[in-house]
Amino acid sequence: MSILIDKLFAHLTKFIAIAILLIVAWIFTVLFQNSMTSMEAFGFDFITETKWAPNLEKFGALPAIYGSVVSTFLAMVLAVPLAIGVAIFLSELAPAKLKSPVGVSIELLAAIPSVIYGMWGLFYFVPIVRDAFGGIGISMLTAGIVLSIMILPFMAAVTRDAMNTTPDILKESAYALGGTKWDVIKDIVIPYAKAGIIGSFILALGRAIGETMAVTFVMGNVHRISTDLTEAATSIPVTLANEFNEADTDLYYSSLFELSLILLVISFTIISIAKFYFLRKKRIA
Amino acid sequence: MATIVDIKEEKALEVQNFEFTYDGADAPSIKTLNMPIAKNSVTALIGPSGCGKTTLLRSFNRMHDLYPGNEYAGEILFKNRNILSKNEDLIKLRIQIGMIFQKPTAFPMSIFDNVAYGMRLQGIKNKTELKDRVEKALQDAAIFKEVKERLKHDANGLSGGQQQRLCIARAIAVEPEVLLFDEPTSALDPISTAGIEELVVELKERVSIVIVTHNMQQAARVSDYTGFMYLGELIELGRTEEMFVTPKEKLTEEYITGKFG
Repeated sequence: MSILIDKLFAHLTKFIAIAILLIVAWIFTVLFQNSMTSMEAFGFDFITETKWAPNLEKFGALPAIYGSVVSTFLAMVLAVPLAIGVAIFLSELAPAKLKSPVGVSIELLAAIPSVIYGMWGLFYFVPIVRDAFGGIGISMLTAGIVLSIMILPFMAAVTRDAMNTTPDILKESAYALGGTKWDVIKDIVIPYAKAGIIGSFILALGRAIGETMAVTFVMGNVHRISTDLTEAATSIPVTLANEFNEADTDLYYSSLFELSLILLVISFTIISIAKFYFLRKKRIA
Repeated sequence: MATIVDIKEEKALEVQNFEFTYDGADAPSIKTLNMPIAKNSVTALIGPSGCGKTTLLRSFNRMHDLYPGNEYAGEILFKNRNILSKNEDLIKLRIQIGMIFQKPTAFPMSIFDNVAYGMRLQGIKNKTELKDRVEKALQDAAIFKEVKERLKHDANGLSGGQQQRLCIARAIAVEPEVLLFDEPTSALDPISTAGIEELVVELKERVSIVIVTHNMQQAARVSDYTGFMYLGELIELGRTEEMFVTPKEKLTEEYITGKFG
């Protein structure tokens, strides 16, 4: 009897696990099927075309891809050094009394729904960026800043966790050779945790590139490629969030699906790289 | 109170009225301990778990200072100074008093860089000097032959025993005067253990050695002096060959004959 229950339970969990894989495949299929019209109409030009003009039935994804890449890049440039700093502080420097409260509040920050970052960005960051850098404030730069603030807690928390995996005995060995705190951080902790740290950055990158609500408020949804960061721009998720309910033709509708397919592929690739190359379990020294 | 044998050699370290209390503990883990450590000899510290032998060992290079709130009292004399003094330069102290740990601790870098690490911390950049001293240290740690073809390889590719000898090479490369071994073979197989023990005996010509061990046979094999500790006190320090045959204290006798432990 109990063997039967064991078997039943094993099958049930197997079924659920496979169902998840099926759902992913299903999503991919739906996106692919709905993109067919657009793929047939534009082919590879869809990715290189810079014009997005629904009234002319002309759809090019490059401004949205550009916006996604640039805003994410900005966010990473701003967030990476800060995240490393916070993580070093929390794992190596902070007194025990501070470690836990600061660590927990950073984890809480990571759990704030992104729409709140978006609202906060619109009402408080847009005016600041406008006053400091010019333009109307709704811009690529604002999106980058809001995104960086959004991913910072996650990055800092995961980087700290990676640093915390450094065995004490390894750090003590470096101290025992006359190392200072700084020597130990740069020669032992960071190299030991390197894979985990890079993995956390890439996961954060994946989050940033697909982020919708935090940037929809502050980016402007303007399909234009500009090197001026204070100008309004768009990204793939921003376009999707803004335009689906306006898509009045099959081609428009299908183009939006193709955009989402591109986003899915990009995110999938990024997460796969993080998982397979950097976040594999490593043996403890 | 404790029975301490007269040491004829010069003394490498001299523990006087030493007391140690861990952060937040009500009572000291080591109570008024007096103990001389002979120069160019191997002194083994034995005793049941929790007797304070590792705590004492980690006081010699002030490892306890890495964690806040631990308190020392009394004196540990090394080269005519009290190393427990507030002004002690811990970096210099740890270069002079090296340590080998319970598990091999190869750093995440190449074999060469592992051994060169301590020298580089001291600011030695000269390539030929580094190379010569790394090779010398690897030879002295009896591992050079096995690794000379792959000095640039990641040190984590070595076996446990090889890694532990690498750690010994790394420690002696900075030419310490005292080496502390904290159960250095507890993670190793019998053959690697024999290799490390042999090395310990050879090294005493150049450094004074204190070794903490759970294994009484190991203490008997490698050491010249043995200190038996119990509940934070030194019960007896004697010449190893005498202490294992004719212990002076009843507790020591009971411990080495296996009546408790």
